[in-house]
Amino acid sequence: MTRRAVATLLFAVTLGGGAVALPAQSGFGVTPMAQGILVVDHSGAIPGGGGLTETRLVQPVLMAVAHGFGNKLGFIATLDFEGATMKGGELTPGAWGEGYVDRRHPHTTVHELNVTANDLLGHLDGAGRLSVTIGKGFVPFGTDDPMSRPFVRYPVNHHLSQLLERAVATLQYDLGPVTVEGALFNGDEPTQPSDGPLVRYEGRWRFGDSWSARATVRPLTGLELQGSIAHVHSPESRPGAGPDADKTSVSARWDAVTPRGERYALVEYARTSELTGFFVYHTFLAEGLASRRRLRASYRFERTERPEELRLFDLFRTQRPSPDNSVLGISRWSLHTLHVAYDVFLRERKLTIQPFIEGTLGSVASVGGGVFDPAALYGTDKVRAFSVGVLVGWGMRGHRMGRYGALAGGMDGMPGMSGMKM
Amino acid sequence: MRLHRLFPGIVAATLAACTSTSTTTPGGGGVTPYTVAVFNGNLQSSLAGAALVTPLTVVVTDVNGATVTGAQVSWTVARGGGSVSPTSSTTAANGRASTIFTLGSIVGTQTVSATTASAPAGVTFSATAASSGPVSAPLLIASVPTPTGATYDHDTFVRDGLAFAFMWNAGLRIYDVGNGVNGGSPATPILVGSLITNTNGVPGGAQVHNGWWFHNPVTGQNKYLFIGQEGSCGAIGSCSIGDIHIVDVSNLAAPVEVGFIHIAGAGVHNFWMDEANQTLYAAYYNAGVVKIDVSGTLSGDMSSRITKQVQPGGPGNTYIWGVMLSNGTLYATDMLSGFWALDPATLATKGGGNNVPERYGSDQWVYGQYAYSGSWGNRGVRGNAVKIWALDGSGVPTLADSIVVPNVTTISDVAVTPDGKMLVITTEGGPGQGLYVYSLANPVKPTLAGSSITSQGLHTGEVAVINGRTYVFAARDPGVPEMDIFDITGLVP
Repeated sequence: MTRRAVATLLFAVTLGGGAVALPAQSGFGVTPMAQGILVVDHSGAIPGGGGLTETRLVQPVLMAVAHGFGNKLGFIATLDFEGATMKGGELTPGAWGEGYVDRRHPHTTVHELNVTANDLLGHLDGAGRLSVTIGKGFVPFGTDDPMSRPFVRYPVNHHLSQLLERAVATLQYDLGPVTVEGALFNGDEPTQPSDGPLVRYEGRWRFGDSWSARATVRPLTGLELQGSIAHVHSPESRPGAGPDADKTSVSARWDAVTPRGERYALVEYARTSELTGFFVYHTFLAEGLASRRRLRASYRFERTERPEELRLFDLFRTQRPSPDNSVLGISRWSLHTLHVAYDVFLRERKLTIQPFIEGTLGSVASVGGGVFDPAALYGTDKVRAFSVGVLVGWGMRGHRMGRYGALAGGMDGMPGMSGMKM
Repeated sequence: MRLHRLFPGIVAATLAACTSTSTTTPGGGGVTPYTVAVFNGNLQSSLAGAALVTPLTVVVTDVNGATVTGAQVSWTVARGGGSVSPTSSTTAANGRASTIFTLGSIVGTQTVSATTASAPAGVTFSATAASSGPVSAPLLIASVPTPTGATYDHDTFVRDGLAFAFMWNAGLRIYDVGNGVNGGSPATPILVGSLITNTNGVPGGAQVHNGWWFHNPVTGQNKYLFIGQEGSCGAIGSCSIGDIHIVDVSNLAAPVEVGFIHIAGAGVHNFWMDEANQTLYAAYYNAGVVKIDVSGTLSGDMSSRITKQVQPGGPGNTYIWGVMLSNGTLYATDMLSGFWALDPATLATKGGGNNVPERYGSDQWVYGQYAYSGSWGNRGVRGNAVKIWALDGSGVPTLADSIVVPNVTTISDVAVTPDGKMLVITTEGGPGQGLYVYSLANPVKPTLAGSSITSQGLHTGEVAVINGRTYVFAARDPGVPEMDIFDITGLVP
């Protein structure tokens, strides 16, 4: 835990606490939000064997959600300071992506920055609402970002189930219980927190080399069904020389506020295929939350496959892009995670202080061919992880990160209990 | 204001917020006190009389720290007697201006100053000029970038003053590095020709990985170049994909693909040739070691020319990285089952094998009565070792010793100079990555003679002697993929 991390947390809370939303009557409104989680992580699945305990400030974000012209225009800006507070990543068994492995990578500093023009056609399309979102942010694919779900530790499937931090243009049409979206974006993932989306590279467009489509249906109050597909060009090679990925995701999500407390459940399946099917990774995840008074309890199960790539001298890192054959195999992570938190609300429930504990038990196995042997790498095929910490947040309760246009909401209009962790 | 009028402005503002750059255009009265600072190119080394690899670049800023566009920068050789071109340049929108510095004939430190009218003190670049005699450390004398959009440079084959660079999906690129066909030299490689080979349906593209220019002593022709295509179809040990592509290089400026060799369910890696017997040996990953008759005319599907094929480690325990013929024995390194000695006629095992259980194997070289094999990745133990093998009278290896290179994960290439004095290895995957040269005064106890640590790893290093000097043609890893040429002449007397 560095002084800079503490300063960032204090800065985030101070700024969040000091900001004031403009009155909605003016036609314009700004909702400032902030969050930071001080956590002690212990992982018993460490490359090289043994265990490791670290203290980090994770998910430190400042966020502003604005609207104007009677919600005709929306604006979202999210700054993420993980590049300063967890440069080496957060200990997370099974995590992978962007050159990190067994640690979750830090997100880019400009996490989201986009504008949405809502209901472009007004009454011309009847009850329908056509909207466009342009800027940096989440691609309409898969499920909500883990940052806005009940657990602190990210699931292994983050890179199978979400596409984020891209320059993206999304066209969305919403009619009754159905919302359909289509998007163009740049396929390349960031390589470090300071990276911006690679819109063009050496005279060639990367923006628009990848696309996605998502359909969301809300057949009952609180129930949401989602199906999406995406084609991502060369995500791991910024010049565009790497293999493409074809992705699919389906999910069912339910949330409600009952007299006994909040209830939330999510079931998802996602699949990513690379090199025209030579490498296929599957994930199944189910999670739920129940709260009673100030106590919140959540459980997650996931079974997710990931590539086992050549590691660098720092065994938590892999080379991106890889110079040639470097996949040692595919591992399957079967993990049970339990999260218990206690809410303390201050300042009219805007400020949340939430101490928590979180534990993960499970196993890792090699599937398919190849030479990867988890026992050789970790000294065990059992996974044990434990975290304790405190979340401090301002105004983010209920925000479902990565949803724009008609799918946004949560702060004001949505039941929103399953948004940001508090 | 109507929404459709407001929207483009907000979009533009959003994008501008992501990409804004501060610049200032000079003018408007008086001399603005600019600052000139080194941006790139300081402290380089090269041979006396040679142009430095990297241009000298300064960045000019104003009192607010904003970059200045359009400032005139004057370049002057202050010490050493070399030359700069141009002698004056104008800063671009990013505030930078550059020149090329060709070293003078004086060995030692040479300097160039860069000044502007408003910053007459300017800044000074220093460079070191080496003599044309022995070098004291590997000396980078040229860097050849991959073409626009290319990601990798994988390997180089050097013969007759031509460097055949195998640059993945940018294909084959042939450089004159002393042949004379285009006036190039190791310090100034000049492109002669290029070709992107067919994908043959392999996902990922041409994936040009390695090659061998065949000098056929029977026909006297130097017509064919064999190119390995390294695809990926599954995890290491389980699957590989990619063909041998046969390219007619009779016209070096316009190479033409004329044939291929395909093995179902397997892909090729490195080559060696018995040219006298018109035989190509190919390391074929999970298909093992493959022997191919390449006599006569080669055209179309030449897969029927495969005469022998063996998996030394057996099915499931074979993933051959490289082969080399020496002293009547064919040596093979297997990523899984170690270092093997095979009969080149029958491919039957003569000895070795299953002798490096703690590491994955990589490249190899055999010289005299010793062989050297590298290691790769992490098999519980990092691939940071060079195994030293003593060869008995029949060529069978026995482990004699090893070298461990600190702070690396892979010994990616191994070679011995033709005079047998130097062991050259390239390394990847850690802060120690780069080029290492060892003295083989005692071939079983190599001692480090010099090294060059590089910001990206070096994937391969091809040793070549050109006009009496010894060079390493190294393929630098992604990040800055390029062909780096090092002079190691006389590093070991």
